[in-house]
Amino acid sequence: MLLSSQYAALGVLLIAPTVLVFCAVIVYPLVSAIYLSLFSIYTPTLQGKWVGLDNYAKLLASGEFWGALRVTLVWTIGTLVLQLVFGIALALLLHQNLVFRSLARGLILFPYFVSTVVAVLVWRWLFNDLYGILNHVLLAAGLIDMPLDWLGQMPNAMVSLILVGAWKYFPFVVITVLARLQTIPDHLYEAAEMDGAGPVARFFDVTLPQLRDVLLVVILLRAIWDFKEFDLIWLMTGGGPVTSTQTLPLLVYRSAFGLNEMGGASAVAVLMMLVMLVFMALYIRAQRQE
Amino acid sequence: MRNRSLTSRILLNVLAWSIVFVIAFPLVWMILTSVKPQFELFRIPPTILPQEVTFEHYHRVLVETPFLKYFRNSVILAVGTTVLVIVIATLGAHSLVRFSYPGRERLAQLVLFTYLLPSVVLIIPLYLLMVWLGIANTLFSLMLAYTTFALPFALWLLRSFMQGIPQDLEAAALVDGASRMEAFVDVILPQAVPGIISTALFTFILAWNEYLYALVLVNTDEARPLTTGVMNMLITAFNIEWSLLMAASVMMSLPVIIVFALLQKHLTRGFGAGGVKG
Repeated sequence: MLLSSQYAALGVLLIAPTVLVFCAVIVYPLVSAIYLSLFSIYTPTLQGKWVGLDNYAKLLASGEFWGALRVTLVWTIGTLVLQLVFGIALALLLHQNLVFRSLARGLILFPYFVSTVVAVLVWRWLFNDLYGILNHVLLAAGLIDMPLDWLGQMPNAMVSLILVGAWKYFPFVVITVLARLQTIPDHLYEAAEMDGAGPVARFFDVTLPQLRDVLLVVILLRAIWDFKEFDLIWLMTGGGPVTSTQTLPLLVYRSAFGLNEMGGASAVAVLMMLVMLVFMALYIRAQRQE
Repeated sequence: MRNRSLTSRILLNVLAWSIVFVIAFPLVWMILTSVKPQFELFRIPPTILPQEVTFEHYHRVLVETPFLKYFRNSVILAVGTTVLVIVIATLGAHSLVRFSYPGRERLAQLVLFTYLLPSVVLIIPLYLLMVWLGIANTLFSLMLAYTTFALPFALWLLRSFMQGIPQDLEAAALVDGASRMEAFVDVILPQAVPGIISTALFTFILAWNEYLYALVLVNTDEARPLTTGVMNMLITAFNIEWSLLMAASVMMSLPVIIVFALLQKHLTRGFGAGGVKG
Protein backbone atom coordinates (compact mmCIF):
# COMPACT_ATOMS: atom_id res chain seq x y z
CA MET A 1 0.00 0.00 0.00
CA LEU A 2 2.78 2.43 0.98
CA LEU A 3 4.81 1.53 -2.04
CA SER A 4 1.89 1.94 -4.46
CA SER A 5 2.61 4.18 -7.41
CA GLN A 6 -0.05 6.76 -6.49
CA TYR A 7 2.61 8.31 -4.28
CA ALA A 8 5.32 8.17 -6.94
CA ALA A 9 5.23 11.93 -7.54
CA LEU A 10 5.82 12.70 -3.86
CA GLY A 11 8.65 10.17 -3.77
CA VAL A 12 10.33 11.81 -6.73
CA LEU A 13 9.88 15.24 -5.13
CA LEU A 14 11.63 14.05 -1.95
CA ILE A 15 14.59 12.60 -3.83
CA ALA A 16 14.85 15.63 -6.17
CA PRO A 17 17.30 17.64 -3.98
CA THR A 18 19.57 14.59 -3.74
CA VAL A 19 19.54 14.05 -7.50
CA LEU A 20 20.20 17.74 -8.12
CA VAL A 21 23.25 17.84 -5.81
CA PHE A 22 24.50 14.52 -7.18
CA CYS A 23 24.37 15.79 -10.74
CA ALA A 24 26.10 19.07 -9.89
CA VAL A 25 28.96 17.86 -7.68
CA ILE A 26 29.44 14.20 -8.60
CA VAL A 27 28.05 13.17 -12.01
CA TYR A 28 29.11 16.33 -13.85
CA PRO A 29 32.69 16.29 -12.42
CA LEU A 30 32.98 12.58 -13.13
CA VAL A 31 32.06 12.95 -16.79
CA SER A 32 34.17 16.09 -16.93
CA ALA A 33 37.23 14.20 -15.58
CA ILE A 34 37.00 11.73 -18.45
CA TYR A 35 36.58 14.58 -20.96
CA LEU A 36 39.50 16.57 -19.50
CA SER A 37 41.77 13.54 -19.77
CA LEU A 38 41.62 13.97 -23.57
CA PHE A 39 43.17 17.45 -23.40
CA SER A 40 46.53 18.90 -22.53
CA ILE A 41 45.83 21.65 -20.00
CA TYR A 42 48.35 24.01 -18.40
CA THR A 43 47.11 24.55 -14.82
CA PRO A 44 48.02 28.25 -14.18
CA THR A 45 46.32 29.54 -17.35
CA LEU A 46 43.79 26.69 -17.78
CA GLN A 47 44.47 26.83 -21.54
CA GLY A 48 43.85 23.47 -23.14
CA LYS A 49 44.27 21.75 -26.45
CA TRP A 50 42.75 18.50 -27.70
CA VAL A 51 45.21 15.59 -27.70
CA GLY A 52 42.84 12.63 -27.88
CA LEU A 53 44.18 9.50 -26.23
CA ASP A 54 47.78 10.81 -26.14
CA ASN A 55 47.73 11.27 -22.36
CA TYR A 56 46.85 7.60 -21.91
CA ALA A 57 49.42 6.42 -24.43
CA LYS A 58 52.14 8.44 -22.68
CA LEU A 59 51.11 7.15 -19.25
CA LEU A 60 51.01 3.50 -20.20
CA ALA A 61 54.43 3.85 -21.82
CA SER A 62 55.94 5.68 -18.82
CA GLY A 63 57.54 4.02 -15.83
CA GLU A 64 55.96 6.60 -13.50
CA PHE A 65 52.41 5.29 -13.79
CA TRP A 66 53.38 1.64 -13.39
CA GLY A 67 55.70 2.55 -10.52
CA ALA A 68 52.89 4.40 -8.74
CA LEU A 69 50.52 1.48 -9.33
CA ARG A 70 53.07 -0.92 -7.84
CA VAL A 71 53.62 1.35 -4.80
CA THR A 72 49.84 1.63 -4.34
CA LEU A 73 49.45 -2.15 -4.37
CA VAL A 74 52.34 -2.69 -1.92
CA TRP A 75 50.86 -0.09 0.45
CA THR A 76 47.29 -1.41 0.13
CA ILE A 77 48.14 -5.06 0.62
CA GLY A 78 50.68 -4.38 3.39
CA THR A 79 48.48 -2.16 5.50
CA LEU A 80 45.32 -4.20 4.83
CA VAL A 81 46.92 -7.44 6.04
CA LEU A 82 48.13 -5.76 9.23
CA GLN A 83 44.73 -4.16 9.82
CA LEU A 84 43.03 -7.54 9.48
CA VAL A 85 45.45 -9.44 11.72
CA PHE A 86 45.46 -6.80 14.47
CA GLY A 87 41.77 -6.10 14.02
CA ILE A 88 40.62 -9.71 14.38
CA ALA A 89 43.03 -10.44 17.23
CA LEU A 90 41.88 -7.41 19.20
CA ALA A 91 38.22 -8.09 18.52
CA LEU A 92 38.69 -11.58 19.99
CA LEU A 93 40.46 -10.09 23.03
CA LEU A 94 37.87 -7.38 23.60
CA HIS A 95 35.11 -9.97 23.30
CA GLN A 96 36.39 -11.51 26.54
CA ASN A 97 35.37 -10.39 29.99
CA LEU A 98 37.79 -7.55 30.62
CA VAL A 99 37.78 -4.99 33.41
CA PHE A 100 36.65 -1.60 32.05
CA ARG A 101 35.83 -3.20 28.72
CA SER A 102 33.91 -0.24 27.29
CA LEU A 103 36.76 2.13 28.16
CA ALA A 104 39.18 -0.19 26.34
CA ARG A 105 36.89 -0.18 23.31
CA GLY A 106 36.69 3.60 23.34
CA LEU A 107 40.48 3.98 23.48
CA ILE A 108 40.95 1.49 20.64
CA LEU A 109 38.50 3.40 18.46
CA PHE A 110 40.19 6.72 18.90
CA PRO A 111 42.89 6.51 16.18
CA TYR A 112 40.11 5.97 13.65
CA PHE A 113 38.30 9.18 14.55
CA VAL A 114 41.24 11.48 15.11
CA SER A 115 42.12 13.69 12.13
CA THR A 116 44.79 12.32 9.80
CA VAL A 117 46.62 15.62 10.20
CA VAL A 118 46.84 15.10 13.96
CA ALA A 119 47.82 11.45 13.56
CA VAL A 120 50.61 12.36 11.14
CA LEU A 121 51.96 15.17 13.33
CA VAL A 122 52.08 12.89 16.35
CA TRP A 123 53.76 10.06 14.44
CA ARG A 124 56.30 12.36 12.83
CA TRP A 125 57.23 13.49 16.33
CA LEU A 126 57.48 9.86 17.52
CA PHE A 127 59.61 9.05 14.43
CA ASN A 128 61.88 12.11 14.87
CA ASP A 129 65.42 10.81 14.35
CA LEU A 130 67.08 12.91 17.09
CA TYR A 131 64.49 13.41 19.80
CA GLY A 132 61.80 10.90 18.89
CA ILE A 133 60.79 8.52 21.67
CA LEU A 134 60.69 5.53 19.33
CA ASN A 135 64.42 5.58 18.56
CA HIS A 136 65.20 6.12 22.25
CA VAL A 137 63.15 3.14 23.34
CA LEU A 138 64.63 0.88 20.65
CA LEU A 139 68.18 2.06 21.47
CA ALA A 140 67.65 1.57 25.19
CA ALA A 141 66.25 -1.91 24.58
CA GLY A 142 69.34 -2.73 22.51
CA LEU A 143 67.31 -3.55 19.40
CA ILE A 144 69.19 -1.00 17.26
CA ASP A 145 72.69 0.52 17.52
CA MET A 146 72.02 3.71 15.57
CA PRO A 147 68.93 5.93 15.46
CA LEU A 148 66.75 4.83 12.54
CA ASP A 149 65.77 7.20 9.76
CA TRP A 150 62.09 6.21 9.70
CA LEU A 151 60.82 8.30 6.82
CA GLY A 152 63.83 9.41 4.76
CA GLN A 153 65.00 6.05 3.37
CA MET A 154 63.60 2.97 1.73
CA PRO A 155 62.32 0.51 2.72
CA ASN A 156 61.87 2.28 6.09
CA ALA A 157 59.48 4.88 4.68
CA MET A 158 57.10 2.28 3.25
CA VAL A 159 57.24 0.18 6.43
CA SER A 160 56.49 3.27 8.54
CA LEU A 161 53.55 4.18 6.30
CA ILE A 162 52.13 0.68 6.48
CA LEU A 163 52.46 0.66 10.28
CA VAL A 164 50.80 4.05 10.76
CA GLY A 165 48.07 3.09 8.28
CA ALA A 166 47.43 -0.09 10.25
CA TRP A 167 47.31 1.87 13.52
CA LYS A 168 44.89 4.43 12.11
CA TYR A 169 42.45 2.08 10.36
CA PHE A 170 42.44 -1.26 12.24
CA PRO A 171 39.70 -0.03 14.65
CA PHE A 172 37.25 -0.32 11.76
CA VAL A 173 37.99 -4.04 11.60
CA VAL A 174 37.76 -4.39 15.40
CA ILE A 175 34.32 -2.80 15.66
CA THR A 176 32.74 -4.62 12.72
CA VAL A 177 34.16 -8.01 13.72
CA LEU A 178 33.23 -7.45 17.38
CA ALA A 179 29.63 -6.69 16.42
CA ARG A 180 29.48 -10.00 14.52
CA LEU A 181 31.18 -11.98 17.31
CA GLN A 182 28.44 -10.95 19.71
CA THR A 183 25.82 -12.60 17.52
CA ILE A 184 27.49 -16.03 17.26
CA PRO A 185 25.31 -18.35 19.36
CA ASP A 186 27.01 -19.91 22.43
CA HIS A 187 25.71 -23.38 21.67
CA LEU A 188 27.99 -23.64 18.64
CA TYR A 189 31.00 -23.29 20.94
CA GLU A 190 29.54 -25.67 23.51
CA ALA A 191 28.95 -28.29 20.84
CA ALA A 192 32.50 -27.91 19.54
CA GLU A 193 33.86 -28.16 23.06
CA MET A 194 31.94 -31.39 23.70
CA ASP A 195 33.46 -32.76 20.52
CA GLY A 196 36.83 -32.09 22.16
CA ALA A 197 37.87 -29.02 20.18
CA GLY A 198 40.50 -26.85 21.87
CA PRO A 199 40.56 -23.03 21.69
CA VAL A 200 42.53 -22.98 18.41
CA ALA A 201 40.27 -25.55 16.74
CA ARG A 202 37.19 -23.65 17.98
CA PHE A 203 38.51 -20.48 16.34
CA PHE A 204 39.05 -22.14 12.98
CA ASP A 205 35.96 -24.39 13.04
CA VAL A 206 33.37 -22.07 14.59
CA THR A 207 34.48 -18.43 14.74
CA LEU A 208 36.14 -18.00 11.37
CA PRO A 209 33.35 -19.55 9.25
CA GLN A 210 30.82 -17.37 11.10
CA LEU A 211 32.92 -14.28 10.38
CA ARG A 212 33.32 -15.09 6.69
CA ASP A 213 30.65 -12.76 5.29
CA VAL A 214 31.61 -9.83 7.49
CA LEU A 215 35.27 -10.27 6.66
CA LEU A 216 34.57 -10.31 2.93
CA VAL A 217 32.79 -6.96 3.16
CA VAL A 218 35.44 -5.50 5.48
CA ILE A 219 38.26 -6.57 3.16
CA LEU A 220 36.58 -5.06 0.09
CA LEU A 221 35.74 -1.79 1.82
CA ARG A 222 39.15 -1.36 3.40
CA ALA A 223 40.89 -2.34 0.13
CA ILE A 224 38.96 0.40 -1.69
CA TRP A 225 39.63 2.99 1.01
CA ASP A 226 43.32 2.14 1.40
CA PHE A 227 43.81 2.17 -2.37
CA LYS A 228 42.53 5.74 -2.62
CA GLU A 229 44.24 7.03 0.55
CA PHE A 230 45.81 10.44 -0.03
CA ASP A 231 46.08 12.40 3.24
CA LEU A 232 48.14 9.97 5.27
CA ILE A 233 50.78 9.28 2.63
CA TRP A 234 51.01 12.84 1.36
CA LEU A 235 51.45 14.24 4.86
CA MET A 236 53.80 11.51 6.10
CA THR A 237 56.32 11.30 3.24
CA GLY A 238 54.95 13.46 0.40
CA GLY A 239 55.66 10.45 -1.81
CA GLY A 240 59.36 10.47 -0.95
CA PRO A 241 62.16 9.67 -0.72
CA VAL A 242 62.07 10.84 -4.38
CA THR A 243 59.03 8.89 -5.62
CA SER A 244 59.42 5.62 -3.72
CA THR A 245 56.15 6.04 -1.78
CA GLN A 246 54.25 7.89 -4.49
CA THR A 247 50.87 6.18 -4.84
CA LEU A 248 48.36 6.86 -7.63
CA PRO A 249 46.34 9.52 -5.74
CA LEU A 250 49.60 11.38 -5.03
CA LEU A 251 50.57 11.12 -8.70
CA VAL A 252 47.23 12.70 -9.67
CA TYR A 253 47.74 15.57 -7.24
CA ARG A 254 51.37 16.18 -8.21
CA SER A 255 50.67 16.06 -11.96
CA ALA A 256 47.81 18.55 -11.64
CA PHE A 257 49.18 21.02 -9.12
CA GLY A 258 52.92 20.38 -9.10
CA LEU A 259 53.70 19.68 -12.75
CA ASN A 260 50.73 21.81 -13.92
CA GLU A 261 49.49 19.08 -16.27
CA MET A 262 45.74 18.82 -15.57
CA GLY A 263 44.91 16.68 -18.58
CA GLY A 264 47.57 14.10 -17.77
CA ALA A 265 46.46 14.13 -14.12
CA SER A 266 42.87 13.44 -15.13
CA ALA A 267 44.06 10.50 -17.22
CA VAL A 268 45.83 9.02 -14.15
CA ALA A 269 42.65 9.54 -12.12
CA VAL A 270 40.51 7.79 -14.73
CA LEU A 271 42.91 4.83 -14.96
CA MET A 272 43.01 4.62 -11.18
CA MET A 273 39.23 4.50 -11.09
CA LEU A 274 39.19 1.71 -13.66
CA VAL A 275 41.38 -0.40 -11.37
CA MET A 276 39.09 0.39 -8.43
CA LEU A 277 35.93 -0.46 -10.39
CA VAL A 278 36.73 -4.15 -10.00
CA PHE A 279 36.60 -3.90 -6.21
CA MET A 280 33.61 -1.58 -6.28
CA ALA A 281 31.62 -3.97 -8.46
CA LEU A 282 32.46 -6.85 -6.11
CA TYR A 283 31.37 -4.82 -3.09
CA ILE A 284 28.11 -3.69 -4.67
CA ARG A 285 27.36 -7.31 -5.59
CA ALA A 286 28.12 -8.49 -2.06
CA GLN A 287 25.75 -5.84 -0.70
CA ARG A 288 22.94 -6.87 -3.03
CA GLN A 289 23.16 -10.49 -1.95
CA GLU A 290 22.44 -9.65 1.69
CA MET B 1 30.11 -19.15 30.16
CA ARG B 2 33.21 -21.27 30.56
CA ASN B 3 35.17 -21.67 33.79
CA ARG B 4 38.49 -19.95 33.81
CA SER B 5 41.03 -19.88 36.58
CA LEU B 6 41.75 -16.55 38.22
CA THR B 7 45.35 -16.42 36.99
CA SER B 8 44.42 -16.87 33.36
CA ARG B 9 41.85 -14.11 33.68
CA ILE B 10 44.44 -11.77 35.20
CA LEU B 11 46.92 -12.62 32.44
CA LEU B 12 44.28 -11.95 29.81
CA ASN B 13 43.48 -8.56 31.32
CA VAL B 14 47.15 -7.59 31.56
CA LEU B 15 47.74 -8.60 27.95
CA ALA B 16 44.67 -6.78 26.62
CA TRP B 17 45.33 -3.62 28.57
CA SER B 18 49.01 -3.51 27.55
CA ILE B 19 47.96 -3.63 23.90
CA VAL B 20 45.34 -0.94 24.48
CA PHE B 21 48.03 1.17 26.13
CA VAL B 22 50.44 0.78 23.20
CA ILE B 23 47.69 1.79 20.76
CA ALA B 24 46.68 4.80 22.81
CA PHE B 25 50.29 5.80 23.52
CA PRO B 26 50.77 8.20 20.55
CA LEU B 27 47.79 10.21 21.76
CA VAL B 28 49.01 10.18 25.37
CA TRP B 29 52.42 11.30 24.12
CA MET B 30 50.78 14.15 22.20
CA ILE B 31 49.20 15.46 25.41
CA LEU B 32 52.37 14.99 27.48
CA THR B 33 54.52 16.78 24.87
CA SER B 34 52.10 19.69 24.69
CA VAL B 35 52.56 20.56 28.39
CA LYS B 36 56.36 20.17 28.56
CA PRO B 37 58.55 23.28 28.37
CA GLN B 38 60.41 23.53 25.05
CA PHE B 39 63.86 22.73 26.53
CA GLU B 40 62.59 19.54 28.15
CA LEU B 41 61.86 18.00 24.74
CA PHE B 42 65.55 17.91 23.87
CA ARG B 43 66.69 16.06 26.99
CA ILE B 44 68.64 12.87 26.44
CA PRO B 45 67.36 10.51 27.73
CA PRO B 46 63.87 12.00 27.32
CA THR B 47 61.60 12.46 30.31
CA ILE B 48 58.36 10.53 30.21
CA LEU B 49 56.23 12.64 32.55
CA PRO B 50 56.80 16.38 32.34
CA GLN B 51 59.02 17.64 35.18
CA GLU B 52 57.32 20.97 34.89
CA VAL B 53 53.81 21.41 33.52
CA THR B 54 53.26 24.50 31.41
CA PHE B 55 50.38 25.79 29.32
CA GLU B 56 52.43 28.45 27.52
CA HIS B 57 52.24 26.55 24.22
CA TYR B 58 48.45 26.62 24.30
CA HIS B 59 48.58 30.31 25.06
CA ARG B 60 50.99 30.95 22.17
CA VAL B 61 48.91 28.91 19.69
CA LEU B 62 45.81 30.90 20.58
CA VAL B 63 47.45 34.34 20.65
CA GLU B 64 50.33 34.25 18.17
CA THR B 65 48.91 32.08 15.37
CA PRO B 66 45.71 32.25 13.26
CA PHE B 67 44.53 29.10 15.08
CA LEU B 68 41.27 30.66 16.28
CA LYS B 69 40.41 31.84 12.78
CA TYR B 70 41.00 28.33 11.40
CA PHE B 71 38.97 26.91 14.26
CA ARG B 72 36.06 29.21 13.45
CA ASN B 73 36.25 28.23 9.77
CA SER B 74 36.25 24.53 10.68
CA VAL B 75 33.21 24.95 12.93
CA ILE B 76 31.25 26.81 10.21
CA LEU B 77 32.29 24.24 7.61
CA ALA B 78 31.54 21.13 9.64
CA VAL B 79 28.23 22.40 11.04
CA GLY B 80 27.14 23.81 7.67
CA THR B 81 27.99 20.62 5.80
CA THR B 82 26.24 18.49 8.43
CA VAL B 83 23.00 20.51 8.39
CA LEU B 84 22.90 20.68 4.58
CA VAL B 85 23.62 16.99 4.14
CA ILE B 86 21.28 15.75 6.89
CA VAL B 87 18.27 17.70 5.54
CA ILE B 88 18.78 16.48 1.97
CA ALA B 89 19.68 12.93 2.97
CA THR B 90 16.77 12.44 5.40
CA LEU B 91 14.25 13.32 2.69
CA GLY B 92 16.17 11.29 0.10
CA ALA B 93 16.55 8.21 2.30
CA HIS B 94 12.84 8.29 3.17
CA SER B 95 12.04 8.42 -0.54
CA LEU B 96 14.42 5.53 -1.33
CA VAL B 97 12.97 3.31 1.41
CA ARG B 98 9.23 4.09 1.34
CA PHE B 99 8.29 5.05 -2.19
CA SER B 100 8.14 3.31 -5.52
CA TYR B 101 9.06 4.96 -8.79
CA PRO B 102 11.06 4.02 -11.87
CA GLY B 103 14.84 4.19 -11.39
CA ARG B 104 14.73 3.87 -7.59
CA GLU B 105 16.92 0.75 -7.43
CA ARG B 106 19.36 2.21 -9.95
CA LEU B 107 19.62 5.35 -7.82
CA ALA B 108 20.31 3.37 -4.64
CA GLN B 109 23.18 1.64 -6.44
CA LEU B 110 24.51 4.95 -7.71
CA VAL B 111 24.58 6.19 -4.10
CA LEU B 112 26.67 3.20 -3.07
CA PHE B 113 28.99 3.69 -6.04
CA THR B 114 29.58 7.37 -5.22
CA TYR B 115 30.16 6.43 -1.57
CA LEU B 116 33.25 4.51 -2.74
CA LEU B 117 34.43 7.07 -5.32
CA PRO B 118 37.90 8.54 -4.70
CA SER B 119 38.07 12.31 -4.14
CA VAL B 120 41.11 12.71 -6.42
CA VAL B 121 38.97 11.81 -9.44
CA LEU B 122 36.52 14.64 -8.73
CA ILE B 123 38.98 17.21 -7.51
CA ILE B 124 40.26 18.60 -10.82
CA PRO B 125 36.80 19.21 -12.37
CA LEU B 126 35.54 20.58 -9.03
CA TYR B 127 38.49 22.98 -8.90
CA LEU B 128 37.71 24.18 -12.43
CA LEU B 129 33.99 24.46 -11.57
CA MET B 130 34.67 26.60 -8.49
CA VAL B 131 37.03 28.86 -10.44
CA TRP B 132 34.45 29.20 -13.22
CA LEU B 133 31.65 30.01 -10.75
CA GLY B 134 33.94 32.54 -9.10
CA ILE B 135 33.53 30.98 -5.64
CA ALA B 136 37.00 29.43 -5.26
CA ASN B 137 38.64 30.30 -1.93
CA THR B 138 35.36 30.50 -0.01
CA LEU B 139 33.91 28.36 2.76
CA PHE B 140 30.84 27.85 0.60
CA SER B 141 32.89 26.19 -2.16
CA LEU B 142 34.35 23.79 0.42
CA MET B 143 30.90 23.02 1.79
CA LEU B 144 29.74 22.12 -1.73
CA ALA B 145 32.83 19.97 -2.28
CA TYR B 146 32.29 18.19 1.06
CA THR B 147 28.81 17.10 -0.02
CA THR B 148 30.51 14.89 -2.64
CA PHE B 149 31.54 12.42 0.06
CA ALA B 150 29.21 13.41 2.92
CA LEU B 151 25.92 13.10 1.03
CA PRO B 152 26.41 9.54 -0.34
CA PHE B 153 27.67 8.49 3.08
CA ALA B 154 24.73 10.03 4.96
CA LEU B 155 22.20 8.68 2.46
CA TRP B 156 23.57 5.16 2.73
CA LEU B 157 23.66 5.22 6.53
CA LEU B 158 20.19 6.76 6.91
CA ARG B 159 18.76 4.38 4.36
CA SER B 160 19.83 1.37 6.41
CA PHE B 161 18.51 2.98 9.63
CA MET B 162 15.17 3.76 8.01
CA GLN B 163 14.80 0.26 6.62
CA GLY B 164 14.65 -0.84 10.26
CA ILE B 165 11.52 1.22 11.01
CA PRO B 166 8.42 -1.02 10.71
CA GLN B 167 6.06 -0.30 7.80
CA ASP B 168 2.95 -0.86 9.94
CA LEU B 169 3.44 2.34 11.93
CA GLU B 170 3.18 4.53 8.86
CA ALA B 171 0.35 2.43 7.40
CA ALA B 172 -1.66 2.85 10.63
CA ALA B 173 -1.22 6.62 10.52
CA LEU B 174 -2.46 6.67 6.92
CA VAL B 175 -5.54 4.63 7.86
CA ASP B 176 -6.23 7.25 10.56
CA GLY B 177 -6.39 9.84 7.80
CA ALA B 178 -2.91 11.36 7.88
CA SER B 179 -1.26 12.38 4.60
CA ARG B 180 2.08 10.87 3.58
CA MET B 181 3.97 13.98 4.69
CA GLU B 182 2.10 14.14 8.01
CA ALA B 183 2.91 10.48 8.59
CA PHE B 184 6.56 11.21 7.76
CA VAL B 185 6.79 14.08 10.25
CA ASP B 186 4.72 12.51 13.05
CA VAL B 187 5.65 8.84 12.78
CA ILE B 188 8.84 8.25 10.79
CA LEU B 189 10.95 11.21 11.94
CA PRO B 190 10.63 10.54 15.70
CA GLN B 191 11.58 6.89 15.05
CA ALA B 192 14.55 7.96 12.94
CA VAL B 193 16.05 10.36 15.49
CA PRO B 194 18.75 7.99 16.85
CA GLY B 195 19.82 7.18 13.28
CA ILE B 196 19.88 10.85 12.35
CA ILE B 197 22.02 11.65 15.39
CA SER B 198 24.55 8.92 14.52
CA THR B 199 24.69 10.06 10.91
CA ALA B 200 25.08 13.71 11.88
CA LEU B 201 27.97 12.88 14.24
CA PHE B 202 29.81 10.88 11.58
CA THR B 203 29.24 13.59 8.98
CA PHE B 204 30.52 16.25 11.38
CA ILE B 205 33.70 14.26 12.08
CA LEU B 206 34.26 13.55 8.36
CA ALA B 207 33.94 17.25 7.51
CA TRP B 208 36.04 18.32 10.50
CA ASN B 209 38.90 16.02 9.44
CA GLU B 210 38.81 16.60 5.66
CA TYR B 211 42.14 17.61 4.14
CA LEU B 212 42.44 17.15 0.34
CA TYR B 213 39.64 19.48 -0.83
CA ALA B 214 40.77 22.14 1.62
CA LEU B 215 44.31 21.83 0.26
CA VAL B 216 43.28 22.30 -3.37
CA LEU B 217 40.28 24.63 -3.22
CA VAL B 218 41.35 27.15 -0.58
CA ASN B 219 44.45 29.29 -0.64
CA THR B 220 43.65 32.04 1.86
CA ASP B 221 43.60 32.19 5.65
CA GLU B 222 40.09 33.65 5.49
CA ALA B 223 38.62 30.31 4.44
CA ARG B 224 41.29 27.85 5.59
CA PRO B 225 40.09 25.14 8.01
CA LEU B 226 42.19 23.64 10.81
CA THR B 227 43.54 20.65 8.86
CA THR B 228 45.43 22.63 6.23
CA GLY B 229 45.94 25.56 8.61
CA VAL B 230 47.82 23.52 11.21
CA MET B 231 49.93 21.84 8.50
CA ASN B 232 50.80 25.32 7.24
CA MET B 233 52.08 26.20 10.71
CA LEU B 234 54.42 23.22 10.43
CA ILE B 235 55.73 24.13 7.00
CA THR B 236 56.16 27.87 7.44
CA ALA B 237 57.98 27.75 10.80
CA PHE B 238 61.78 28.02 10.64
CA ASN B 239 62.44 25.25 13.07
CA ILE B 240 59.62 22.89 13.92
CA GLU B 241 58.31 23.60 17.42
CA TRP B 242 56.88 20.25 18.38
CA SER B 243 55.32 21.32 21.65
CA LEU B 244 53.44 24.07 19.81
CA LEU B 245 52.21 21.63 17.17
CA MET B 246 51.17 19.11 19.80
CA ALA B 247 49.20 21.80 21.65
CA ALA B 248 47.48 22.72 18.38
CA SER B 249 46.78 19.02 17.71
CA VAL B 250 45.21 18.57 21.14
CA MET B 251 42.94 21.58 20.68
CA MET B 252 42.06 20.50 17.16
CA SER B 253 41.00 17.08 18.47
CA LEU B 254 38.89 18.49 21.33
CA PRO B 255 35.57 18.59 19.43
CA VAL B 256 36.11 15.01 18.28
CA ILE B 257 37.01 13.92 21.82
CA ILE B 258 33.90 15.61 23.23
CA VAL B 259 31.59 14.13 20.59
CA PHE B 260 33.21 10.80 21.22
CA ALA B 261 33.06 10.79 25.03
CA LEU B 262 29.43 11.90 25.16
CA LEU B 263 28.04 9.85 22.34
CA GLN B 264 30.14 6.74 21.92
CA LYS B 265 27.02 4.59 21.80
CA HIS B 266 25.63 6.49 18.81
CA LEU B 267 28.91 6.18 16.96
CA THR B 268 29.21 2.42 17.45
CA ARG B 269 25.65 1.99 16.25
CA GLY B 270 26.43 3.93 13.08
CA PHE B 271 29.37 1.66 12.49
CA GLY B 272 27.16 -1.42 12.54
CA ALA B 273 24.46 0.03 10.31
CA GLY B 274 26.17 1.72 7.42
CA GLY B 275 29.77 0.64 7.45
CA VAL B 276 29.14 -3.00 6.89
CA LYS B 277 25.56 -4.12 6.59
CA GLY B 278 23.66 -2.37 3.88
